[in-house]
Amino acid sequence: MALPLTYNLRNVLVRWRATLSTILGIGLVVAVYVLVQSLAAGLEKSAGNTGDPRNLMLVRKGSTAESTSMVSLPQLQIIRYWPQIARDATGAPLISADLIALISQPRVDGRGEANVSVRGISPQGMALRPQVKLLAGRWFMPGQREVAVSRKLARRFAGFQVGDTFRTGGHTLRVVGEFDGGNSAFDSELWMDADEARSLFDRQEYSSLLVRAASPAAARELIARVEADKRLTLLATPEIKYYSDQTVTAMPIRMLGGFLALAMSLGAVFAAMNTMYASVGSRTREIGTLRVLGFRRRSILAGFLVEGALLAAIGGVLGCLLALPLHGVSTGTMSFNSFSETVFEFRITPWLAAKGMIFAVLVGVAGSLLPAIRAARLPVITALKSV
Amino acid sequence: MTIPTFIFKNALRNQRRALLSVSSVAASLFLLVTLQVALRELTLPVESSGAELRICARNKVSLTNPLPARQRPIIEKIPGVEGVSPFTWFGGQYQNEGGMTFAQFAMDPKETRRVFTDIKLDEAALAEFVSQKNAAIIGKVSADKYKFKPGDRFKLDSTVYPGSLDFIVAGIFSGTADDRMMFFHQDYLDESIGTPGYVGMWWLKVKSAADMAPVIQAINAAFQNTSAEVRAESERNFQLGFISMLGNIKALIASISTVVVFTLVLVTASTMSMAVRERFRELAILKALGFRRRELFAFILAESFGLAAAGACLGIGAAYILYTYGNISKMTAGIFVSFEVTPRIMGLAALVAALLGIISAVAPSVSVARMSVVNGLKTLD
Repeated sequence: MALPLTYNLRNVLVRWRATLSTILGIGLVVAVYVLVQSLAAGLEKSAGNTGDPRNLMLVRKGSTAESTSMVSLPQLQIIRYWPQIARDATGAPLISADLIALISQPRVDGRGEANVSVRGISPQGMALRPQVKLLAGRWFMPGQREVAVSRKLARRFAGFQVGDTFRTGGHTLRVVGEFDGGNSAFDSELWMDADEARSLFDRQEYSSLLVRAASPAAARELIARVEADKRLTLLATPEIKYYSDQTVTAMPIRMLGGFLALAMSLGAVFAAMNTMYASVGSRTREIGTLRVLGFRRRSILAGFLVEGALLAAIGGVLGCLLALPLHGVSTGTMSFNSFSETVFEFRITPWLAAKGMIFAVLVGVAGSLLPAIRAARLPVITALKSV
Repeated sequence: MTIPTFIFKNALRNQRRALLSVSSVAASLFLLVTLQVALRELTLPVESSGAELRICARNKVSLTNPLPARQRPIIEKIPGVEGVSPFTWFGGQYQNEGGMTFAQFAMDPKETRRVFTDIKLDEAALAEFVSQKNAAIIGKVSADKYKFKPGDRFKLDSTVYPGSLDFIVAGIFSGTADDRMMFFHQDYLDESIGTPGYVGMWWLKVKSAADMAPVIQAINAAFQNTSAEVRAESERNFQLGFISMLGNIKALIASISTVVVFTLVLVTASTMSMAVRERFRELAILKALGFRRRELFAFILAESFGLAAAGACLGIGAAYILYTYGNISKMTAGIFVSFEVTPRIMGLAALVAALLGIISAVAPSVSVARMSVVNGLKTLD
């Protein structure tokens, strides 16, 4: 006969003072685990979230980042009027020749500088990226030294508010608008006119091309045609795939998370063991009584395991709750891919919270296994005699 | 029985609990040391020998914007400059390895001894490096990893420039802060891409420490209002710039350290009070026998301090041994090259342990001090 679950639950609750620190300890471990994993998830999401399924990205073969890619003007002219490319209402092909440049800007807290990606886009560039929404001000005018800044980036760097001006390469740029990149890689960018950017950064070439394929079949044709054309040293990839391939930088964070989880859970298991041993020790008589009443050894064993798991589960819930306020908070670091500031959010997904809970329960079960075995093995008579 | 033996026996009478407490303190301090070392590695610029006399000059717009090669004679003429070399990121990938595994820079081999004074390379190998256009020198760490030896030929595909370059290993060097790097001829790179007349950066060395500030100023002033304005700074400041780019990662690690310390205090304090609660009765007897409150406090303190100290020795010791004698670059897949456990970090961890011992003794001591002897004697565990 199994011990009723309420018995375990009440045991956890009645000794709340003794178990509180264990619950808190496990809670903090789970909170750290969930937060670090949510950072990795956010970083991956920011790249994975970018792109439109109908779009294709064209970059130089062999380049690993847009900033080291090159597309020459003649190459652009070859591709521009291909029939595989969709047209807008006015009949203009939906193609954007982009330029990516990095500028070094001071952080808003005055502590040093970091590289920021500037994306020069062609007039069609906006229509190709419907996930980007203007929040304040207006878009830049082609032919003007004006930029629009992602709101998340504007919070991190000095001189990026609407109406501000900043200097780079001996020229002054005016911030005229603020946009939301919809949690995509565009949240880490400044946008301006592509040809103004080319003159500003003294570049002959563009960095990449973004095109809207007329249909899925046209997309396949386009990829094959780019591959076959010897004049083009370019590689066409679906935009979504291009960005999801860029997600390698979360690996160090995942490694850090894994290491932290391992080391901290070790400490937490020891702490849980201590609590459970003490719990078994102070209930020796009670356990003896349960045995006399006819509960089997395995029921006692299972009972304590359930108690440890319950204890840890409460800690797990607490940990998730502690981590939750950071959901959606944006943070940033340098991406080693693009060599520039990447802004992303803590993303606590239900699956991540569930993983945190599983992790907590495992810690609880691991911590209560030995004490539970000890409880199950107590000789009945001595247990009853103990004070 | 002397008082020390009394305390010692008390601490060990529940051996399992003592062991568990020591282990949880050890695990947490191990983690604390690891995080602190990681934080230090991330926030401290790599110190290479001769760095105090080296200046790094990059394009003011950003590091990724190139500088015109025509700037070199202007820089060379600045008084106090001993040597100037280009320093261009090649971004080569070795044998389709996927990610970047070691950094390669194009430079001027003739300036090796004048600018890159930290490179330890024998004269014969250097002469070979200087004389052969496609020669390269490779840091010992990378050479060991890829089993390169002088005379070997290999190819790198650039992720920055179109195409790939063939190299021949002229020598293996050591002595730099990051012995994974590879150096080769800027001329060779220029030839392969049609001499566009650009370099990545300028690295230069000044004659004495007194020349640093004037030379930095002179370079910055020399190219003001030109098509490529220059930001020159000491090598140390340049490296610090990278740290600033890491952004919030620092704050993240620092806050995790805080949480670890907090968890540690919580868990140990609760264990200590558990241990004391178990022997309320005994302590009441001691009180009845005439022991003062401060003596009882001393007993508890000594015990908790002892447990914390044992945990500290284990945790800090394990971290020290692992990171000093283990191969850290293999363990972290090359993210960290050195992982030095400094005396300062060990001191910090020891301090945390000491405070922990004191704090966790306070709560139980207060409850012992407050209890009346009669109530204490009545306690049934």
